[in-house]
Amino acid sequence: MNYITDALWALFATCGSALLFRVPKKELFAASLGGAVGWVVYLLVQGSAHSETVAALIASIAVAVYAEVIGFLKQKPATLYSTCAIIPLVPGAGMYYTMFEAVQGSAEKAWATGFATLSIAGAIAAGLAIVASLTRIIKLDGRHFRKSRGD
Amino acid sequence: MRSHHFQHDEPSDILRVAVDAGRLMLEAGAETYRAEETMAGIAQNLGALETESFALPTGIMASTVDIQGNSISTVRRIRTRSINLEKICKLETLTKMSGRHTLDSLERELCIIETIGLYPQPVPFFGSALISGFFCLLFGGAPLDAVCSALAGALLNIVRRWLASKRQPDFILNIAGGLYAALISALLVYASIASHLDKTSIGIIMLMVPGVTIVNAIRDLISGDLVAGIARAADAFISAAGISIGVGIGLQIWSAWVGLLP
Repeated sequence: MNYITDALWALFATCGSALLFRVPKKELFAASLGGAVGWVVYLLVQGSAHSETVAALIASIAVAVYAEVIGFLKQKPATLYSTCAIIPLVPGAGMYYTMFEAVQGSAEKAWATGFATLSIAGAIAAGLAIVASLTRIIKLDGRHFRKSRGD
Repeated sequence: MRSHHFQHDEPSDILRVAVDAGRLMLEAGAETYRAEETMAGIAQNLGALETESFALPTGIMASTVDIQGNSISTVRRIRTRSINLEKICKLETLTKMSGRHTLDSLERELCIIETIGLYPQPVPFFGSALISGFFCLLFGGAPLDAVCSALAGALLNIVRRWLASKRQPDFILNIAGGLYAALISALLVYASIASHLDKTSIGIIMLMVPGVTIVNAIRDLISGDLVAGIARAADAFISAAGISIGVGIGLQIWSAWVGLLP
């Protein structure tokens, strides 16, 4: 039940960002659904692995795979879906808390929060990059395959 | 096809069109490698030789070579960056199809793409309300907190647009936004409409935080665009600092003039 409401909140929050990022109207739902998918995966992994960084990595891989599949089906660039769908995952609040501690003068807290924030951002970026690389390999192989068959 | 282009198009014209496409990409918030791939793709499809580009979030330098081997170069400065996914989408498609275009038709297409702005009001108004309200719920706020957050967030969108139209830099916009978020949530909690100060304010603050920027910064670093990555990370930390300064001032003002924070 908790997961369902959380997924809904994530879906609507992602939808809001999609409106600000000018996602074409036809793609709004697909982009928002990606946010919900990513957030549920994040919660599930965090529940079992107890690590925010690992959860962010797995969730961003899930989001990127989702974006590539939907992008392939709809013949649109995957970035259209992945940029919105990572919105619930990205450590925006972490960036704010880091700098808030810094301007308050508590350097140690700022370092700790900053380190956690950068690891999460790094995990998300790595997840997206891994899937992008794999997609590139698959697409190149597919092209090669079609060529070698003489299509 | 390619030789046909090469005979007719001046390398300087090809370079201009390719760099304009890259500029549009970066202005729409695309990653550095995507902008460089766009420029390389268009230049190659139009038949330019030895085109190299160096893109940063704040500008592009690119050069190509004409038949005599003279180097031609151009620089574009990028001053505004706001994420516009429809623009990125159209540019990607145009780059893929650029082999079928002539230089003139490509330039015309780019002019059309350049006019794609963000959605007009009231779409951003409702978008901001959705982000603030549902992030407040996601952070564990009560339903009434979320309603306050959503309304205040929607209003913030209008205030920021007004300040931006007065040509204020992003840093000032962020300080003003943080100040507004802290004061309005303290006021709402003081009037006992909202119940949690931290959760109401973080919903509003989520509208401004540079979450996507810091992820894109690390994506740039991973793909080897080291300078661009560091520049983007600096951008992210500066905006987060601006918001925090605003919130800090707001809380100070509140506790000095009104009394203890709820």
